[in-house]
Amino acid sequence: MSELLSAYLPEFIILIFIILNLIFSLFSNTATYKLPKWFSILGIIAALFSTIYLQIDPEAFAFNNMFLTNIYTVFFKILILISGFFVVLLSRNMIREKRDRAAEYFCVFLSGLLFAMCAVSSINFVSLFVSLEALGLTCYLLLALNRNNNAKQLTFGYLMQSSVVSSLFLMGLSLVYGMCAQLDYSQVSLCFSQNQSQILLTFALILMLCTMFFKLGLVPFSSWLPDTFEGARYPIGAFMSSVPVLACFGVLSRILMTFLNYTFTVKIVLAFIAVATIIFGSLSAIRQENLKRLMAYSMSVQSGIMLLGLCVFSVYSLSSVLFYLFCYVFVNMGAWAAITLLYNSAKLEKLEDLKGIIYHRPYYVIAFTIILIALAGLAPTCGFVAKLYVFSAVARSGFMYLPFLLVALISSVIMIYAYWRIIRAMFRRIETEIIIDTHVISSKYILYACAVASVVICIFADKIIRLCQLVAYYM
Amino acid sequence: MNFLSLIWLIFLPVIAAIIIMLPAFPNHQVKIRRFAKWFAGLHFVYSLLFLLFFDSSMFGMSFEKELTFFGMTWLKTLGISAKFAVDGMTLLLSVLTIFIVLITLFMSKMHIRTKHKLYYSMVFLLESAVLGIFCAKDMFLFFVFWELLLIPVYFLVSQWGNSEARGAAIKFTLSSFVANMFLFFGMLILYYYNFAVSNVLTANIESLNMDEKIYPMWFQIMVFVNFLIGFLIRVPFVPFHNWYPDIQSKSAAPVNIMLAGTMFATGVYGIIRFNMQVFPEIFKLFAPILMIWGIVNLIYAGLLSVAQAGIKKMVAYSNVASVGFIMIGLASLNQTGFNGAVFMMIACSIVYSALFVVISSVQFRTKTTYITALGGLGQVMPKCMYLALIICFAAIGIPFLMMFTPKLMVLAGAMLSNLDQQLLVKITAAIGLCAMMVSAGYILYFFYKVFCSVLLEQWKGLKDLSPQETSVLTALSLVIIYFGINPMSIMQIYQSVSSIILDVLQV
Repeated sequence: MSELLSAYLPEFIILIFIILNLIFSLFSNTATYKLPKWFSILGIIAALFSTIYLQIDPEAFAFNNMFLTNIYTVFFKILILISGFFVVLLSRNMIREKRDRAAEYFCVFLSGLLFAMCAVSSINFVSLFVSLEALGLTCYLLLALNRNNNAKQLTFGYLMQSSVVSSLFLMGLSLVYGMCAQLDYSQVSLCFSQNQSQILLTFALILMLCTMFFKLGLVPFSSWLPDTFEGARYPIGAFMSSVPVLACFGVLSRILMTFLNYTFTVKIVLAFIAVATIIFGSLSAIRQENLKRLMAYSMSVQSGIMLLGLCVFSVYSLSSVLFYLFCYVFVNMGAWAAITLLYNSAKLEKLEDLKGIIYHRPYYVIAFTIILIALAGLAPTCGFVAKLYVFSAVARSGFMYLPFLLVALISSVIMIYAYWRIIRAMFRRIETEIIIDTHVISSKYILYACAVASVVICIFADKIIRLCQLVAYYM
Repeated sequence: MNFLSLIWLIFLPVIAAIIIMLPAFPNHQVKIRRFAKWFAGLHFVYSLLFLLFFDSSMFGMSFEKELTFFGMTWLKTLGISAKFAVDGMTLLLSVLTIFIVLITLFMSKMHIRTKHKLYYSMVFLLESAVLGIFCAKDMFLFFVFWELLLIPVYFLVSQWGNSEARGAAIKFTLSSFVANMFLFFGMLILYYYNFAVSNVLTANIESLNMDEKIYPMWFQIMVFVNFLIGFLIRVPFVPFHNWYPDIQSKSAAPVNIMLAGTMFATGVYGIIRFNMQVFPEIFKLFAPILMIWGIVNLIYAGLLSVAQAGIKKMVAYSNVASVGFIMIGLASLNQTGFNGAVFMMIACSIVYSALFVVISSVQFRTKTTYITALGGLGQVMPKCMYLALIICFAAIGIPFLMMFTPKLMVLAGAMLSNLDQQLLVKITAAIGLCAMMVSAGYILYFFYKVFCSVLLEQWKGLKDLSPQETSVLTALSLVIIYFGINPMSIMQIYQSVSSIILDVLQV
């Protein structure tokens, strides 16, 4: 038992807190709506601390070799838990409005974290499928929390498309099973190297990758992004743009590194997808007026940049993507905290609503500006170091990638413009009086903390890069 | 000399900017202005101490200093460190920048009426970014400051310019970002292919080179062109020059002074540091093209300057034109030309800032910059006219004023250069001599239209320069005259730099 726990202690703790929340929901009423939140915070913090007791050297296996724990999975789990922690703090105002559903919300939310962590840890295609599917379902449940008709319509698209890509995954799964009669990663990898007809296996794996591409909002599957995000509540948007992204990158890099390492065509296709995502996402982003839609495309572009780093297939590039993810967690969460804050305090949703906000809340605006600069990948923030690291990994890997790199760099300027539009709107001269409610404390501190973090990570980037290199090495 | 630290020199303005932005700092314009001026003045004195203790006979970099965070090198695993050092040329440019900022702060009082905190902190941020560009010893550190520069420029242009300034500012910022991406692309390639050659992962500018025979020529040329595009847009150089007159004509007067004094020196510095030092072979290959390009720049922008209706655009175009001389000097690949080009950089910064100071005084009084609306101001503003006369003569290149020596040296350098296409080069140098007449034309036209012709009715009651403006313009004129008479005093400071760079170029 203790050996099992040393492999999946954080998941276990989260599971306990889900059950606690479920039990609590039987007795809860509107007066005690705050308790599930504290339960969840407690659970997440406990899970974060429990990662210390995980066995990472040597790697620990559980559930008949379906579940792996090593430093790589722990890295992703910590990031997932940190973003979960931020999202819980961000959802304060939403919970106040829906007091009767607080316990339910946190149950679903914690299971989202649980399945994300399981997906990163799984080394078997079945457990991977179950985790990803459950993660998708929790995403849908969270999206469906917003119960007006418009939002239902907008989020229903997510369910439909997500089920389509899941069926693609199943198709790939059946093909792999048909070829190898195995579902374990290591066995399939062995089969892959021995088998002569690699094309079918590659095809099967690409079908599976589609699920990940869908969740990351990469180009052929990015049509769900803006509508779904617009229909979602703000904390759900923050959740959707961080936790599934982390889980999918955890899975994606493992699959790519394990199976498709030597397939030249796949590399080129991935690079094409990445560059197309960056171009399409940034071109769409500059036309958005709604902040949530803009952030949706921002997520798509960031995933595109990370995929470009990933498609190089080296330990160095993997470490650069890990560093990018590390920065992305804080920066993206800071941006969501800022727009949540703007919405909660003054119902500001559109770019044009932001006019003159600098005169009312200069320090919000400065923190948000730092966050946006980091998202755009500009100088004194961690975004720059992350971009430098990822793109240098791409530049390192040969002449073949240079055209992709140049196109990606140039089109990232379009995204800078998209972020710049927010900054410009905030610095506009004042036209209307904005009434600002000052009671939103938790999201304010998340915003400030993320803004400070984005500068501090830039300064102490060296330590984190070393950590990422270690993690990438041990994957 | 432990108190002379480049880190302090670069980051003191950032500290000042933060102090001004602090909520505890009184939001009172007089206090902010006074603080900014005192701070800039002391900073200038501090920078002069560097000049005093600088050993110009020493080869290589001096005052080297590394910025560490609790003993940690910044991005050590990637071979990137926050090292700063100066040589004679960059030290001069740094002191020049600080001087220009001081002048800008003295001229800001009349033009900046709103958002004082933001304005003064942005000026300091800009100063810090420019100093960082000049002093950075590491390629990516250079790039950090290179990009950082755009943020204060955006705010300075958009927040205090006229009604069209926002559009111009965003256009400039985005086109600069595109240019920066070319630069960044070149840097990334250089970074790794240098690693592949030397097996040391470093971004230290001095140890970078691509001059091995491993890479094909076209590849080196591609990287070189990426760098060149990045720098030429900043300079600004002719096909990419549009942003400069655009934002100059739309931004507030003190911002004009600042931009004229700092922006293009950074671009030319980049060309010297990277294109000349890192790619000497390719630079030699490109030298005739660059020389002709410089001439085209000189004539084209000069002619455009005559055609302008606003005095700001006119001076801005003539500023663009004068950059052509710098390029000719650099491309002539000899001691005379290079020294002339670097001197020209410094002279251009001072003279064109001074011209913008004159324009700022005129604009403050008349509230217009249209050339048809001005005229005969010399009758009501005699002090301004005489000081402007000195500056305009300097811009033309009259002997014993600052611009004369560098122009002479550049053209002499071009004549003496032994590039491959001898005849072509000689012809271009000759055309360059003729182009000096164009420059005389537009500057005199400007002076005549503003100060000489018939005084219009509405300007009869104008007041002459205030003591503050008089002192600023007098100081600038004295600088112009002093270094015009005594050019060696500047040139001996960067003598060693030119020999190092020409040694790299092996000419």
